[in-house]
Amino acid sequence: MLKIIIPTVMLIPLTWLSKSNMLWINSTMYSLMISMTCLPLMNQFCDNSLNLSMLFFSDSLSTPLLMLTTWLLPLMIIASQHHMAKEPPTRKKLYITMMILLQIFLIMTFSATELIMFYILFEATLVPTLIMITRWGGQTERLNAGIYFLFYTLAGSLPLLVALIYTQTTLGSLNLLLAQYWIDSSTHIWGNSLLWLAYMMAFMVKMPLYGLHLWLPKAHVEAPIAGSMVLAAILLKLGGYGMLRITMMLSPTINFMAYPFMMLSLWGMVMTSSICLRQTDLKSLIAYSSVSHMALVIMAILIQSPWSFMGATALMIAHGLTSSLLFCLANSNYERTHSRTMILARGLQMILPLMAAWWLLASLTNLALPPSINLIGELFVTVSMFSWSNFSIILLGINIIITALYTLYMLIMTQRGKYTYHIHNIKPSFTRENTLMSLHLVPLLLLMISPKIILGTTY
Amino acid sequence: MNPLTLSLVLTTMISGTLIVMTSSHWFMIWVGFEMNMLAIIPLLTKEHNPRSTEAATKYFLTQATASMLLMMAAITNLLYTGHWSIMKLINPTASIMMTMALTMKLGLSPFHFWVPEVTQGIPLMSGLILLTWQKLAPLSVLYMIMPLINMNILLIMSLMSIAIGGWGGLNQTQLRKIMAYSSIAHMGWMLAVLTYNPTMTLLNLYLYIPMTVTTFMLLMINSTTTTTSLSHTYNKLPLITTLILITMLSLGGLPPLTGFLPKWAIIQEMTKNSSIIMPTLMALLALLNLYFYTRITYTTSLTMFPTANNMKIKWQFKNSKQTMSLPLMITISTLTLPLAPMMMILD
Repeated sequence: MLKIIIPTVMLIPLTWLSKSNMLWINSTMYSLMISMTCLPLMNQFCDNSLNLSMLFFSDSLSTPLLMLTTWLLPLMIIASQHHMAKEPPTRKKLYITMMILLQIFLIMTFSATELIMFYILFEATLVPTLIMITRWGGQTERLNAGIYFLFYTLAGSLPLLVALIYTQTTLGSLNLLLAQYWIDSSTHIWGNSLLWLAYMMAFMVKMPLYGLHLWLPKAHVEAPIAGSMVLAAILLKLGGYGMLRITMMLSPTINFMAYPFMMLSLWGMVMTSSICLRQTDLKSLIAYSSVSHMALVIMAILIQSPWSFMGATALMIAHGLTSSLLFCLANSNYERTHSRTMILARGLQMILPLMAAWWLLASLTNLALPPSINLIGELFVTVSMFSWSNFSIILLGINIIITALYTLYMLIMTQRGKYTYHIHNIKPSFTRENTLMSLHLVPLLLLMISPKIILGTTY
Repeated sequence: MNPLTLSLVLTTMISGTLIVMTSSHWFMIWVGFEMNMLAIIPLLTKEHNPRSTEAATKYFLTQATASMLLMMAAITNLLYTGHWSIMKLINPTASIMMTMALTMKLGLSPFHFWVPEVTQGIPLMSGLILLTWQKLAPLSVLYMIMPLINMNILLIMSLMSIAIGGWGGLNQTQLRKIMAYSSIAHMGWMLAVLTYNPTMTLLNLYLYIPMTVTTFMLLMINSTTTTTSLSHTYNKLPLITTLILITMLSLGGLPPLTGFLPKWAIIQEMTKNSSIIMPTLMALLALLNLYFYTRITYTTSLTMFPTANNMKIKWQFKNSKQTMSLPLMITISTLTLPLAPMMMILD
């Protein structure tokens, strides 16, 4: 794993020592090369994980997430070039350093064996993200957004720390490789339910769960494009990854604790999808759609069946790429009109037809069109939810319809119809933007061919 | 200050603390505390204005009361056990009185009221000495009498301190008062774990002192005592804004910075001893502390706070403040979390 971490750390001196005109090229190119070094990890054993060292390992759950993380850094750097163009070189380098620092922490989080190390790095990802949102966001609301983001996540995760240390003292070790061999026979006492809650609340806030999701629209909307991309694509998946790892350790007798969260997720999924239909702010729409998709992931993880775990993992990867792509598309609008209001930039298909193609593909994957991997995720989740409870199909069906509705609403509003008079002089699409969109879409479409690499541990 | 006076005062202060730390007779500990207190009074009134006189008076009154309470506790113990030795503080009344005396010296809740007001009235360097050096002597006595302290009282006082340190600092814009409330909260953390594993108290102390020294040195470079004037730093020394950011986040206990290490160790020790609600409450109340540190970073580093137009045309003087080994301090106070396994050498 050091062969990925050390080059990523070395990207920081690369950034600071590059000449100003080579800055973006250097960092993009070398981060792309680092994402290539992550590919050999896909060579997994089918019944075990790649145990690389005492501290790091990678199994078929963490490898797709690691791939997504390393793939996303060059995309973030490409996306930030335009709005950072007028800043002095030191600030550009600081911004890229924040992204690289976040990358380092994320790589180490996804490959950590020891759960306390996972926790420390899980919290550590908050600091660069907070700095990116608060320092480089666009509007004054970014300060409030940063505080909400930081404190919601921290308040949820401090009980996790206590729970982890408690488990370490009672069970002896928190190594994930040993975790698969524990036989945890807890009884139905009140304390075990509290322990379950302490474990799960951190990840519920991070995912986010419907009742605790207030930080997400603020943070996603106020963040600069790289911040939005990394938040939507990876940081939400940290919650999902944590939950997938922890549910292995928790006792099966405490599964009744999942019911309130199932209810919140089922209802919240429909609610946040419905809110999307009434949004005027494009980024806010995509943020709420993230909450809705992640509610599906939460439900899948809570019912703990092999199909649902496969669906959750596939949905995490698919949603990461799709949501990041949608944020990039929204940003390309924002850079031209300097407004996030959807109706100010409509009828774009006549003016930017290639971008309209990317919008179309992004919308189609967002509404889980077959045979995209989004569909695989949603389908597996729906099927396993149906087997868990027949009535959930009603709400899930409603959600799928509303997802299609708001996605098509977004597509038609921004692309179709007559264009407004004030956008006749926007700049045409840059090659950089088209590259960015295609780099998002190519993995998404290619994974259709062999989705087994993103299906996680229970394939 | 006259160098001769300054050296006399500093020597007395240091030797007072050393006498406290190396004695085993209660009388000598009282002597050490009195020497320490009397010597620091001139340091508190370095600038001769009524505010510093008020601060020095408040400091004197509280510390003298605490010393007298300490003497009373020692004599009560003498009455019941016949020993002056500090290891034989067996009588519970004496032990409780001693705990009260020492926590009064430290500025722990409910005896914390003097800390913000004294810290506010004195110059930054004196405030630094007050919040770091002056904690050494009472903490060393508490460390030595640790087995004999009533755990319940200490835990209640610690929890109250962390809460008051958190909530008290929320309404402050004066940086010295913010650092005072920060000190109250950190003292709460330190004493919470004293009866479980005093090594963690020492760990917290050894990391709290560099972090506080770093913060005060950064404030001294800018010669600022209010949040507003600190927010002008980006005009004068933009690099310092980054350092203030990471130091403040480290004080707040955010991973992966050093400030997380004492909190983690303390939570670990308390959980190992099957006390689970207490560390959870302490950790959640520490978030209040983090809020006002983050607010300082917002005004200083993360936004370009509104200033008057003539800020950019200031003369850029070379720094003439005493900021000894600032880079070393910054490194210790922010980057030593990976050295966590080495902390076992403290045992």
